[in-house]
Amino acid sequence: VSPAKVPTATLVRVFWRCLFLQAAWNRRGMQNLGFAYAIDPALRALYQDASAREEALRRHLGFFNCHPYMAAAIVGGAIHHEERVAAGVEPRQGPLSYKQTLQGPLAALGDGFFWTALRPFFGALAAVGALLFGAPAIVLALAIYNAIHFGLRIGLFRAGYVQGDALVATVGRLALPVAADRLRSAGAALCGVAAGVILLRSGWLGGPGAAVLAALAAGLGYAALARGARLLPTAYVATLAGVGAALAFAHFHGSS
Amino acid sequence: LGYLVLGLVAGLAAVERKGFLQAMLSRPIALAPIAGWALGDAAGGLLVAPPLELFWLGAVNLGAALPAHEALGTAAIAGGAVLAGRALGTGVTPEIAILAVLITAPVAILGRKADRAVEGGLNERIALHAETALAGHHLREAVRCNLYGLAAPFALAAVLAPAAAALAAALIPVILVRVPAAAGPLRIGFYAFAAFACASGAKALRAKAAPRFFFLALAVAAVLGVLVWRIAP
Repeated sequence: VSPAKVPTATLVRVFWRCLFLQAAWNRRGMQNLGFAYAIDPALRALYQDASAREEALRRHLGFFNCHPYMAAAIVGGAIHHEERVAAGVEPRQGPLSYKQTLQGPLAALGDGFFWTALRPFFGALAAVGALLFGAPAIVLALAIYNAIHFGLRIGLFRAGYVQGDALVATVGRLALPVAADRLRSAGAALCGVAAGVILLRSGWLGGPGAAVLAALAAGLGYAALARGARLLPTAYVATLAGVGAALAFAHFHGSS
Repeated sequence: LGYLVLGLVAGLAAVERKGFLQAMLSRPIALAPIAGWALGDAAGGLLVAPPLELFWLGAVNLGAALPAHEALGTAAIAGGAVLAGRALGTGVTPEIAILAVLITAPVAILGRKADRAVEGGLNERIALHAETALAGHHLREAVRCNLYGLAAPFALAAVLAPAAAALAAALIPVILVRVPAAAGPLRIGFYAFAAFACASGAKALRAKAAPRFFFLALAVAAVLGVLVWRIAP
């Protein structure tokens, strides 16, 4: 029996709805509502019988949590399995097993690549660009980020839908952890470039003393954060120390 | 009208940040200029965007962990700075920007607490409602419930960002008019904050080699900058 196919227009609609995956993120089922919302058009296309559709929807209202970009692959794969369930060639638990097996590994991969490497890299790139070239650099950096992000998100959705379980090999070939390591190092270097630019600007504006203060804020700030200091209080200390040192300098300079 | 516009921008950013899309439009680097532009001073927003982006570079949503609400903090800081700059007739200057940071940045922590309350309270009730709807064979309602979750983040940010910005816009002109001598040291404080933000960004990248790359790039950029400055006519 050849499995029933979900129309392309419906797949497009499902992908659009994937963008709302975390709309009602909750501690009970995490992305369960988002997953059910995303896959619903495909279930409507596959199950004409209301009770069968309700049962399928119940399957997808269970606990689910994954990286929101990588989840597109699981939504696509779940439709692949639902097509087989609707055709009677796979047990009803098939889509659920698929989701349960893949959500953890893909979440770890997505967090490691997108959230802690690709996005911070482009954030740092846009920040350096903004410091040197202004707003057009931000637009360019975000355009490149989203070309990569949407390219991968759409590609993963398609790969999940077409390949089903074979998706794992496709994701493996992307070598995301290797790319993530390189992006993190490059991102740290971009932060250093930004610090260099800020140092120079503070020097031009307030003299060598101001540049030294900025350098101290960067160096001591990094050391404090590396030792586990909390971000916001440390920022207050760095800023107020800078203001205080400038006040003291102005006082002594003025009185001499 | 400015506060309404800021509320709308902050609300939409809060939705984009987690509930819909996640295309970096709610990141400080994009949101600060957008908020500034919406209030009539894109350049003012652009001044605070790079340090805020680097400062909150590590604000990512890993699993169930909630980061500081960087979008809310950014909208409040950029909005407060632009409105204070308008009140003083100077536009956003570094001293105004740093005062806006000092006054309104804690709203990002408040935003995290609000997120936690929404996800553990309201959204759980929405999930229960969806299950009840499904049990009652109301499939459309069960599916639609997901979109209800967009309302609370929008509303919270739409209220908190203008409120924090209003506080900054009220305090900053008073401080700078009453203590004009503070302007210079505050300007230095802005650059100290910006430099610290770069360190925060490098630290957030969680790379073993991050300190080496960060300090090496800092030194190279600073030396190259000095050389270019000396050579340039």
